[in-house]
Amino acid sequence: MKSKYLAILCLACKAGHAADDVNESDYFQDFPVVLSSSRLSQPLSDAPNAMTVIDRKMIVASGFRTIADLMKLVPGMYVSYYKGSQPIVAYHGTTDEFSRRMQVLIDGRSVYMPPTGSVNWADLPITVDDIERIEVIRGPAAASYGANSTQGVISIITRDAGAMDGKSVSYTRGDKGINDVEARFGKRGDAYDYRMTLAYTADNGYDNLTTPPNGYTLATFKAPGLLNNSNDSNQARLFNYRGDYHPNGIDRYDIQFGFNHDVQGVGFSDKNPGPSNSYLGTNGDPFHNLISNSDFVQLGWVRQLEQGAELSLRYSHTRQDQSEALPVYLVGVYYPGPVVQSLQTSRDEIEVQHILPLTDTNRLVYGAAYQIDRAGGQSAMPPISLYYSSSYVYNEYRLFAHDEWRIAPKWLLNLGSMFEKNDLGQFNSSPRIALNYHVTPKQTLRMGVSVAYRTPSMAETSYPMIQPGALIIPAQTVNSPGLQPEKLVSHEIGYLGEFPDWASTVDLRLYRDQLSNGIYPSSTAKSFVNGMSGEYHGLEAAVKHEFDPDNSVTVNFAHAWAASNGVLLAAGGQKVMASSDPLNSDILGASIPQNSASLLYMLRLPLDYSFSTAAYYQSAMQPFDRGAIDYQPIQRRVDVRIARTFNVTAGVKGDVALVLQNLLNQAYTEYIASNLFNRRGYVMLTVNW
Amino acid sequence: MAQAKKILAFVFLLLCGIAHAKELRVLMVLSDSTPLYLNFAKSFSQNLSTDIRFDLIQHAEDFNAQKTDLIVSVGVRAAYRVAEKTSQPLLAAMIPSKTYADLRTLKQGAISAIYLDQPWRRQANLLHVVLPERKRIGVLYSASLDIPAMRRELALYHDTLIARHLSGGDTLSADLDDVLVESDVLLAVPDNEIYNANSIRNILLSSYRRGIPLVGVSEAYVRAGALCAIFSTPEQLAVQAVSATITYARTGKLPEVQFPVQYSIAVNRTVARAFGLVIEPDDAILLQIRKLSGSLR
Repeated sequence: MKSKYLAILCLACKAGHAADDVNESDYFQDFPVVLSSSRLSQPLSDAPNAMTVIDRKMIVASGFRTIADLMKLVPGMYVSYYKGSQPIVAYHGTTDEFSRRMQVLIDGRSVYMPPTGSVNWADLPITVDDIERIEVIRGPAAASYGANSTQGVISIITRDAGAMDGKSVSYTRGDKGINDVEARFGKRGDAYDYRMTLAYTADNGYDNLTTPPNGYTLATFKAPGLLNNSNDSNQARLFNYRGDYHPNGIDRYDIQFGFNHDVQGVGFSDKNPGPSNSYLGTNGDPFHNLISNSDFVQLGWVRQLEQGAELSLRYSHTRQDQSEALPVYLVGVYYPGPVVQSLQTSRDEIEVQHILPLTDTNRLVYGAAYQIDRAGGQSAMPPISLYYSSSYVYNEYRLFAHDEWRIAPKWLLNLGSMFEKNDLGQFNSSPRIALNYHVTPKQTLRMGVSVAYRTPSMAETSYPMIQPGALIIPAQTVNSPGLQPEKLVSHEIGYLGEFPDWASTVDLRLYRDQLSNGIYPSSTAKSFVNGMSGEYHGLEAAVKHEFDPDNSVTVNFAHAWAASNGVLLAAGGQKVMASSDPLNSDILGASIPQNSASLLYMLRLPLDYSFSTAAYYQSAMQPFDRGAIDYQPIQRRVDVRIARTFNVTAGVKGDVALVLQNLLNQAYTEYIASNLFNRRGYVMLTVNW
Repeated sequence: MAQAKKILAFVFLLLCGIAHAKELRVLMVLSDSTPLYLNFAKSFSQNLSTDIRFDLIQHAEDFNAQKTDLIVSVGVRAAYRVAEKTSQPLLAAMIPSKTYADLRTLKQGAISAIYLDQPWRRQANLLHVVLPERKRIGVLYSASLDIPAMRRELALYHDTLIARHLSGGDTLSADLDDVLVESDVLLAVPDNEIYNANSIRNILLSSYRRGIPLVGVSEAYVRAGALCAIFSTPEQLAVQAVSATITYARTGKLPEVQFPVQYSIAVNRTVARAFGLVIEPDDAILLQIRKLSGSLR
């Protein structure tokens, strides 16, 4: 009897065990759609534009601490700093310190801000470690990204809320006051993931130029005050949070917010009269601090619909308050601390988008957006009895549609347009057509034509007459009421080849971009006017080769040249359009580095070591709005990073890295001749658990 | 006398045989009455010849050793129920192969099975056809798995198996990262502990971030974001169960246990494009897998 019971019990056990064990429900269970269209990035061979992707591996291997520097890994991109604390990122050469012809997005939120229409790279509330990847569209993409995308689009994609499950602390210490501390936390849950970053970053910008570079006399460099003129430190205290609520398999909610308190050293010491000189100059921008508080909130909702369709809604609010207090020297007289300027800008943007696969071979993306830009500025300059405040609100409406149609297995047609209407009374339509021909599955040819407009910025329509300090505060009145958007028509031919036998990929692009209605500051009208026209031509190449999975190299090269009507405009009295370059009378042509190249080599070594090195080259150029003294000579630079990961204890991993920038100490100056870059190094220690 | 007995026995057997062939009674026991099992039953009855009597029990619990000639159970729960209750011949359809040994020790009398899972060889073939350049196959598992067999099959194509056992209850993320770091492709195994509606999101996102595609075990995986999967539908398995039933009707014997004969593949073309993979049409892939199965057998 007893044994019978045991047998029954045993049977029950077995049955129970089997139910817990594998059964058919493991095969037939249902799942939510995770990798939906908006999650997946478009393969380069299907993209309507040339695109460079900088992924996490490259970000780490580059050793860079700032987001702007990462752009050095994009063919044809110019990266410099107006002051060490104020990055300039420009494609197709420089314009001025406010590079305005590119769209910059962080998770879809545009971060070029009024009133200048430029990006304050140092104030972004994210760190390099928050970035998952950067997709850079080389060439206009206004059809998809709207105004400001005339030359290209930098799309920064931050790490998912669920990308991290644990904690991480890192500390970086190095030359030139480099001193960064960063703490990151992340938690993955069944329905809610989040991550957050707390960081402090600081450095002292460029090296201090104490002696003139080769070929220059002391006097030449002393007169324009280029020596000992480096007040460009930067300290940022930032916080960001990203949460992802996914209660079911259909809806996804993205919640993001962040804050950055940034203090930048700005200003120049030239023309400061002192006890030792009786110079009667005027300096409205001596050394001082520019204080900036930036924050943002972004809310997103994505709903997965039937048949791969997707509906998304995104709202974002971005705000930036900047202020500065500075003394001025007016005709040799020192007025201690009376000038106070502040600027409050904000943007609210709401966008709805529907991704709709029409057939297996045709996908439509369309939507609408509304944006309000606000800028308010105050300037108080008691020495010259000038007080003013200005305030602007610009509304902008956008409608967009983009169709991706695989006409035949080998042919892909991308057709799209953006329609924009703004408070300046302008209505623009920016169409784009691109045809990709897959010669073989691994070889693609691309031909594209697109039109893009850049809406004049507030600072251009309302240019301030008197502008001390570092801030640009729009004038009280619109002084260029008829200013039209700049127009760019771009033609390009691209080639993408994959060579699996050689473990290599090649990306080539030939382009011709025609700029019309270009906006420039008129020397005669004392305001911004249309009238510049120009043409850019170039060739870009990117080659990647993988020796083995742990050993790879990426090489980028760009050859570019440009011509404009600058000579004619200068002859007509527009002094600002005269070239400062003795070798090139065309201001636009001179402002583009003819050749630039970068190389990034990554190697994973045994014993948990890794090594990477990067080399950068840029031919000489004359920054667009700078004088001849700021002529930027050839730039050569080699960076090296050596790192090792180690186990601290069970579950705790560490990583220590040494980065040496400009290893060979080939000192160079850029943008302004006082911006000197020598060898510098830093050590980064990270602990994850 | 002895001769007469023999003849009688022969006639009896003959009669039995004829009766068997003409009036076979099949009782199908489903694990549950969800569409999954009902589809199987429907497909089975549609493909069955009219001379076989077909009865259906929709819930495993309702089976109480009813008299019949052959029982076809569908799913693990029904298989166990029948195995526990009766010694009548059982064809356990749509069960994972690894449950069979256990089931067999439990069952008195004749038993055979039609497995739900694909043989490792077929999976290796799929990987070879779809992702020939991805040689390091990552597998994360929590239940027992025949690792040497997998390794053997993958070795045919010089593929390496990177297998990791889940180290704890909440270490999925870390264990997954360990596998992904060394792999070129992640091969899912049917394992609820690892692959479930809650975890699939992080698995797919983590692997996508690292540029590693997931190969699933069903169409649902592919819809969720897996690159591809090779699997058999309940309808395909039902057709196979019908053939086994007919064999039994003819011979009075159950065929050997079988892996699925018919199978399908699914490819997520959007995911393939995002990975920059060029993948042939489904038909061409199936054809190549069949060719490989032939040549390698």
